[in-house]
Amino acid sequence: MKRLLLCLGLIVSVSVVTPVADGVAAEKLITGNMRVVIGSKSTGGDTYQNSAIVAQALAEELGIDVKVDAVGATAAFKTMERSGQDGNTIMIFHDQAYLAYLYGIKGSADIFKELKIGPTIAINPGNAYLVPKKSPYQTIDAIIDACGKGTKVRVAIQPGGVSEIGYTAMKNAVKLKYPGSEENLVAINTGSQADKNQLLFDGQADVINGSVQANEQYTRLPEDDQKAMRFVWLTARKGTIEQANPEGMGQTTRDDLMKFVEPNAVVPYDASSNFVFDKEFIFLYNKNMSPELVAYLDNALTKIYAKGEIQKIQKKSFFIPDFLPSTESGPYLMKKMERIEKIISGMK
Amino acid sequence: MDLLADLTPLFFTLVFVGVLIGILFGAIPGMTATMAVAVCLPLTYSLNLREGLALLLGLYVGGISGGLVPAILLNIPGTPSSITTTFDGYPMTVNGDGEKALKIGIISSLFGGLFSAAILFFFAPALADIAIKFSYVEKFLIIFLALTVIASLSSNVLVGIFSGVLGVWISLIGTYDVSVGGNGDTRLMFDFMVPYLEEGFSLLPVLIGLFGLATILQEAEKGVKDEPLCADVSLSNRAKFSMRDFKGQIINLFRSSSIGTFVGMLPGVGGSAASVLSYTQAKNFSKDPSKLGTGAPEGVIASEASNNGLTGGALIPLLSLGIPGDSTTAVLIGAFTLQGIQVGPLFIGENMETWHTMMVALVVANLVMFFVMFFAIKYIAKVITVPKYILYPIIVMMCVVGAYAINYGIMFDVWTLLLFGVFGYLSGKIGIEVAPLIIGFILGNSAEVYFVKSLESFGTLTIFFTKSPIAMFLWVLIAVSITYSIYTTVKSIRTKRANAGH
Repeated sequence: MKRLLLCLGLIVSVSVVTPVADGVAAEKLITGNMRVVIGSKSTGGDTYQNSAIVAQALAEELGIDVKVDAVGATAAFKTMERSGQDGNTIMIFHDQAYLAYLYGIKGSADIFKELKIGPTIAINPGNAYLVPKKSPYQTIDAIIDACGKGTKVRVAIQPGGVSEIGYTAMKNAVKLKYPGSEENLVAINTGSQADKNQLLFDGQADVINGSVQANEQYTRLPEDDQKAMRFVWLTARKGTIEQANPEGMGQTTRDDLMKFVEPNAVVPYDASSNFVFDKEFIFLYNKNMSPELVAYLDNALTKIYAKGEIQKIQKKSFFIPDFLPSTESGPYLMKKMERIEKIISGMK
Repeated sequence: MDLLADLTPLFFTLVFVGVLIGILFGAIPGMTATMAVAVCLPLTYSLNLREGLALLLGLYVGGISGGLVPAILLNIPGTPSSITTTFDGYPMTVNGDGEKALKIGIISSLFGGLFSAAILFFFAPALADIAIKFSYVEKFLIIFLALTVIASLSSNVLVGIFSGVLGVWISLIGTYDVSVGGNGDTRLMFDFMVPYLEEGFSLLPVLIGLFGLATILQEAEKGVKDEPLCADVSLSNRAKFSMRDFKGQIINLFRSSSIGTFVGMLPGVGGSAASVLSYTQAKNFSKDPSKLGTGAPEGVIASEASNNGLTGGALIPLLSLGIPGDSTTAVLIGAFTLQGIQVGPLFIGENMETWHTMMVALVVANLVMFFVMFFAIKYIAKVITVPKYILYPIIVMMCVVGAYAINYGIMFDVWTLLLFGVFGYLSGKIGIEVAPLIIGFILGNSAEVYFVKSLESFGTLTIFFTKSPIAMFLWVLIAVSITYSIYTTVKSIRTKRANAGH
C-alpha cells in the first residue's frame, strides 16, 4: 500500500523531475533545478538512456532536481549558447557534437570554441555495421576487397555523425588498400534505424549502420527471413568490448561480439594503425561557466563514480563506464577529433 | 499464473491514473499523448517494466482519446490525429448535438482501440512482415492517397487544391534535416528568418492557431456577447444519443479501425494520416457524401475509430521490429531502454509475460477510457454553456501555454500560434480553405522525404508505378478516390443548378 501511495504521489504531481534524495554537497553551488538538454530528440535512444542514468545519480549527489529534455542537437546548442552560465542548464551529447561540425552540417557548433568541454561519462560500444544474412560479404575485409575489385557497395547511413564516421573509415581503408577504388563505396543517406533497416530489406543497401542494441535480435533470425542480418564490424576498441558484461547483449555474448572488433575485423586507418572508434558521451557547458562550477560538477561525478553503483547500472544497459574529469576530457577529445579529422578531410 | 501475479491493484491503478492524465493532456489544446508519455517517462524509473508500461499505455490511450473533446466542443483538435473529428463534430455541437457527438466519438474510440488491440495480439509478427514490404515508394503513395482528401473536402476544388499545396509549401519551410537523411540546409526562407524557422513551423501551434484562435478572432469580430456557444449541450427538441446512431455504420467502424491499425503499423507515416485517410474513405463510401463536413455522425465515427485504431497498430512494429510506429510509441520505447530491455523481432517470443501484461493493460486502458469519458461527458460537455466572454479568454490562455510548452519553452511557437490564428481568420475572408491547408501542412513533410528518397534510391520516376503490386494497388485507390471526388463535386454542382432552376 505504501508503494502504491508513493507511486500515486509521484504520478499525480506529474513531476518531470528526477526524485531527489539526500547526500547534499557541503557547499551547494547549484541550487533549485538542473535542466539537461540532450543532442537527440529521441527518448528511446542511447543518449537519453545514458543521460537519465547520470541525471538520477547527480540529483542524488547534489540534492537537486534534474530533468532531461530531449530537444535535439540544434536546439540544445542554441540553449547552451544563451544559458547555463550558472550551471543550471547543461548539455549531454556524444561524439556527433564535433563530428557534425567536421562534416560541415549546418546548425552544428565547434564545441571546442563555442562551448566548454565537460567530463566524459560512458561509451556505447554498440556502433555496428551489418549485412543481410545471405550477403556474399562474410567480413568487413571482404567488403573492402569487393570495392577494390570494382564492385559497387552501398552503405546506408545517417549523414554527419557517428553513423557516417564508420563509412568514412571504410572508404579510407579502400583508398589505402586499393587507391582510386574508394568511389565504389557509396553512401546512401537516410534517417532513422528503421529507414536503414528498410533499405536492407528492400535490397537498396548492401551494408547498414546499426547498433548491437537495436539490431542484435535481427542477427538471430533464420537465414531465410527477409529481416535476418549479420554483424561484420563493430567500431569500438577491443579493450572497450572486453569491459562489457560477459553476457553481452540479448543472447549475443561478449565473446561473440569480440569477433567483430580488431584484430578479428580490421579497418586500416593508415599504414601502421587501424581505425577504432568508441562512441563517447560528454557533458558540455556554456562557454562562460565558471571554473568553480566545472570543478563542482567534476567533484560530484568523481564521488558518484567512486561509489561504483553507477557503473553497474551503465553496464547492465550495455554502456561502458568512462569517466574522465573535465581537465582530462578536453585534451583527450581534441586528440580524438584531430585523428578523425584527417580521414574526413582526406575524403573531401 | 505469472501473468496473474502481475495484475496487482497497483497495475490497475496505474492504468487508470494513466488514462485520466492522458485524457487531460489530449483534451488540452497544445498538449498531446506524446507529451503525456514523455512527461511521465522518468516516473517509470521507480516502477518495474510492466508497471511502467501499464502507466504509459494508459497515457497513450487516454491521450489519443482525449483529443476528441475540444475537437467536438470547441473546433480545436486536441491532438493532430483528431483534426478530422472537428469536421463533423463541431458542426454537430453547433447544431445542439454536442453530447451526442461526444458519445459517438467515445464509442468509436473504444471500438477502434479494442479492434486494434485484437489485431495486435493475434497478428503482430505476421503484420510486421507485411509492414516491411512498404518502402519509401509505397509510403509516399499512402500519403498521396491521404492527400486526395483535399479534393473531396473542398467546397471549391481548385481553391482547395491551391490551399492544400500552400499547406505543403509551408510545411517545407525549415531545414532538410540530416536526421531524415537530408543535407541539413535551410530552405524557403531569408537568412534573417533562420534563427526562428530553422526547425520550421511547429505542428501544434499551427493547428491550434488555424482552428482555435482563428475561430475566436472571427467571434471577436462579431462581438463576444454574454451568451454561451450553445445554450444546452443536447437540446431537448433533438434526439438524444442512442446506439441506433450506429445503425448502418458497422462497415464504417471496421473500415476506419482497420485503416487506423494499418497506417499505425507503417513506421513514419504518422498518426494524422490515419484519420485523414479513413475520413476520405468514409466520404467516398458514404451514401450522401455532401453531408460529411456539415455534422454527420459517420465523419466522427471514421475519425475517432481510426485514431484509436492507431494505438494497437503503432505497437505492431514496436514490438515486432523494435521500430516505433508513431511519435508516441517512439517515446514509449524509452520505457524499455530505461529498463535495459531490447525490443526487436524476437521480443514477443522471448518476453511472453511482458507481452501478455501489455495486452491486458491496453484492453483495460480502452475500457477505463470508455467508462471515464462516457459517464463524465455530460459534465465535460457543459463547457460550451459557459458564456463566450469567459470561455474564449481561457481557451486563448490554454493555447498559449500549450504552444509555449510543446518544444520545451520556445517563444517563437507562441508567435506561430498568433501568426496562424490571424492567417486563419484572414483565410476565411479571402476564401482560402483551412482544412485542405492543414492536411497539406501535416502530410507535406513526410511526402517530401519519401518522394525524394524514392528517387534517390531508384533514380527514376517510373518506379512509383512499377515498384510492386502494392504500389500499383495504391494507384488504383488513388485513381478511385480522385475520380469519386470529381464525380461527387460535379453531381453536387448539377444538383445546385437544378435547385436554382426550380
